[in-house]
Amino acid sequence: MTRFRHVCVALVLPLLMLAGCGKKDEAPATRTAPAADTPVFKVLATSDLRDAQPLEDMVLKATGVKLKFQFGGTMESTEAVLTGKTDAHAAWFANAKYLLSDPQGQARVKLQEKIMLSPIAVGVNESAAKSLGWDNPAVAAKVTWKTLTEASRDGKLRYALSNPATSNQGFIALMGVVAAASNKAEALNAADVDRGAIAGFLKGYKLPGDNSTYLAEKFIEQQGNQRNQLNAFINYESWLLSLNNSGKLREKLTVVYPHEGVATADYPLMLLNDTRRDDYQLVVDYLKGRDAQAWLGRQTLRRPINAEVASGMGDLFPKGDMLVELPFSPSRELADGLIDAYLNEFRRPIASTFVLDTSGSMNGGGRRAQLIEALNYVAGADSTLTGRLAKLTNRERVWMLPFAGRPGSITAFQVPAGRPLAKGVQLQEDSEAKQQVLAQVRDYADGLQMTGGTALYDSVLVALEHTLAQRAKNPEYQYSVVAFTDGENTEGRNLERFKAAYAQLPEDVRAIPVFMVLFGEAKEADLKDMVKTTGGRVFDARKTPLYAVFKDIRAYQ
Amino acid sequence: MSKPIKIVLTLLLLAGFGAALFFALSGQRAEVAQQREAAEVAAAGPITGLIALDVEPYFKDERVRKILADKRLPVQVTRVGSRDMASKVVAGATPDFFFSSGVVAANQIADAARQANITVAQSSPFFTPLVIASWEPIAKILVANGLAKPLSERIYGVDMAKLTALMLDKKRWKDLKDASAYDVGRSVLVSTTDVRRSNSAAMYLALTSQAVNGDIVTDRATAQKVAARVAELFKRQGYQENYVNGNFDDYVSIGIGKTPMAFLYENQMVHYALNKKGVQPSMVLIYPQPTIVNKVVFVAVSERARALADLLGSHSELQRIGVEYGFRIADSGVFMQAVKPTGLAVEERLTQVVDPPAFEVMAEMIDVVSKEMSQ
Repeated sequence: MTRFRHVCVALVLPLLMLAGCGKKDEAPATRTAPAADTPVFKVLATSDLRDAQPLEDMVLKATGVKLKFQFGGTMESTEAVLTGKTDAHAAWFANAKYLLSDPQGQARVKLQEKIMLSPIAVGVNESAAKSLGWDNPAVAAKVTWKTLTEASRDGKLRYALSNPATSNQGFIALMGVVAAASNKAEALNAADVDRGAIAGFLKGYKLPGDNSTYLAEKFIEQQGNQRNQLNAFINYESWLLSLNNSGKLREKLTVVYPHEGVATADYPLMLLNDTRRDDYQLVVDYLKGRDAQAWLGRQTLRRPINAEVASGMGDLFPKGDMLVELPFSPSRELADGLIDAYLNEFRRPIASTFVLDTSGSMNGGGRRAQLIEALNYVAGADSTLTGRLAKLTNRERVWMLPFAGRPGSITAFQVPAGRPLAKGVQLQEDSEAKQQVLAQVRDYADGLQMTGGTALYDSVLVALEHTLAQRAKNPEYQYSVVAFTDGENTEGRNLERFKAAYAQLPEDVRAIPVFMVLFGEAKEADLKDMVKTTGGRVFDARKTPLYAVFKDIRAYQ
Repeated sequence: MSKPIKIVLTLLLLAGFGAALFFALSGQRAEVAQQREAAEVAAAGPITGLIALDVEPYFKDERVRKILADKRLPVQVTRVGSRDMASKVVAGATPDFFFSSGVVAANQIADAARQANITVAQSSPFFTPLVIASWEPIAKILVANGLAKPLSERIYGVDMAKLTALMLDKKRWKDLKDASAYDVGRSVLVSTTDVRRSNSAAMYLALTSQAVNGDIVTDRATAQKVAARVAELFKRQGYQENYVNGNFDDYVSIGIGKTPMAFLYENQMVHYALNKKGVQPSMVLIYPQPTIVNKVVFVAVSERARALADLLGSHSELQRIGVEYGFRIADSGVFMQAVKPTGLAVEERLTQVVDPPAFEVMAEMIDVVSKEMSQ
């Protein structure tokens, strides 16, 4: 009889499973202890979602799916999905409209669900808002991107914003500006772009950066109402409200939603790998459910997509009038043209002194080859989105300072300016003159010989002095020092004496960050110590792809 | 013990044994039967289907699964875009059924089946009209400008010919009479999904093409001409959602600022209202005049799928559950009764209804608009 029952169970069980008799609400009990070998469900996420990272644990507890975020900028993440170069199972972007309007992108995305909402808004120091009249809700409701452009042009608005070439917020702000200037009633074309408006708006762009965490930190430091301080922050509403609640601001921000120019991020979670459909569905069901939606609303201040949950949270979000959206133009021509024009024409041009380690130790471990590859990369012909971001841009100045036992002699390069279009924007091919300069940079790199000792700190000091002198001559450039080294300092000043000498330099030197691109393992801690003094960052070129290194350096330039 | 008592006891004992034996045997028989049944179903496997997003929650419903299991027609469904279904018709590897979100996609499937020499049967157990989900202030502006009229309380009908002409005329909201409630510079446009990907957008194309043409488009030459004319109604919207729930989410969660008018299936709104037990007071439905009634088309490939199709259309509980997901069924009384308590006003009798153009004509028009969109 017992054997009989076994057979019965064995036969009935599959039937039950097919019929889906396992009740949903019973399931979590068995899911709370996932096996250690549960495969990871990798989600490529835009970096503004960092504040949602606790979801990894929450999702695991509720569904048993081992969710792991991998953060990146909007543009690079979009490119990774488009080209299929990511092994992520799903992607979660603030805005995926470019991806989803591209036939290739549509084919990559198997399923999609919006999870939450956050409009891009402008946070203005309360006192600045008052002097602009925007403390009056009726006036604030009529503030358009045009109003913001004029205030920036006139020096009344000095804002922090993430890089328009790499981030959604920065890009959308530019789109808002050109849309408002065009006075068009619908989605824009590349030819509609008002070039004067871009230039006016960017006059107020005082703090660039590549992610919201960095920008928020710097904004807290530099907030104020003096001419050299920041009085506005353009970002997702969620980040502005969070800053207001943080207690870290000198004064709170009045949140202004550009009239007829709001772009709401809708955070679609997109399935990329069809074999993980079940996990995806579990995650979506959880994220759109009451608990997760309430958590996202309260903790991250993004508006819940679940209308029921949202209706109970009205007090968390400014009520205001209706937010009229900017029609989103999916035109790639417009996007490419706008980013190209921003990088090569409208942004503050970049000037850097490249400090090149040509000591004998660079011959080891293929480090010389790495250095040459890096220089070839920035002077290369990579026309992908990411390649264009890393590459030397029009008007850019580079001084090469090679060093070994002591600083060598400086060689200057300057990329010529392009020919501005009379109207609209367009992705431009490199001019012949530009191609020539890029070829010269590559030739220079190929000719580098490595021999002798390493006077790293002496050379960085010389580079700073040189850059400082250049800055005095051409203050409209954005200056930095980029050092490529294996990190071993064998001659000249040591770190302590470098710091002492740095302290003697004029105060203006603080505006020149030092980026260290590290090819070896030696003394990484010392270099990190150094950039604490000078400002800047250390990048490990052994672990980070060159693209990522330069994209980051660019973001701070 | 007296003899009679002994006999009674013996009889009782025998009866007890007999009963026990009987029950044991019949229990065993039942188990055997069950076992055989289970084996049969397991051997046959579940009926496999590719289904549209619209009916996915229906098939996930425990009650539906139970009824289907009881009727020995358990299903195993996978959600795919309706437009992608026709490409899954492969000789020898075709699922038992497709449940597409509309007639156009169903016809595409049937066409592909014909070419592959596979016989299919179509039926539509549920249907729902296409509506414009909107807001009271917007509806009033349309009425003030002679584009729409109230049908009954909080229900409007919009003249598609007039609305289409106004949109092609590139009118902005603030150009309209009495538009102070929506005094914005954006063009008057209905938000749709991406016609390259979604059935509801194709239905919008069907309606606007008819509005421009004055009649249902029936030939290729007219199709090309008319589609080229109305393509801008899609292109000028800018980005469009790839799937109809995206458009619905925008309407419900972002609201009037993004989607003053959203082209949706009525069942999306009804399902939402039933779930939430109500709608925002300013949400109203505007019925295009004429509109298209979208049939959720079941395309049966295998014999068992045909049985499933019959069951879906005739089983009263399965039909009633369909209403819970917002669909209309043959019995309109059941539908109206279910919706009434939610406060969402729906039109009981749809008077002005047209059919979408024939499959080839529709495909031609979608092609023209898609090409325009990609430029």
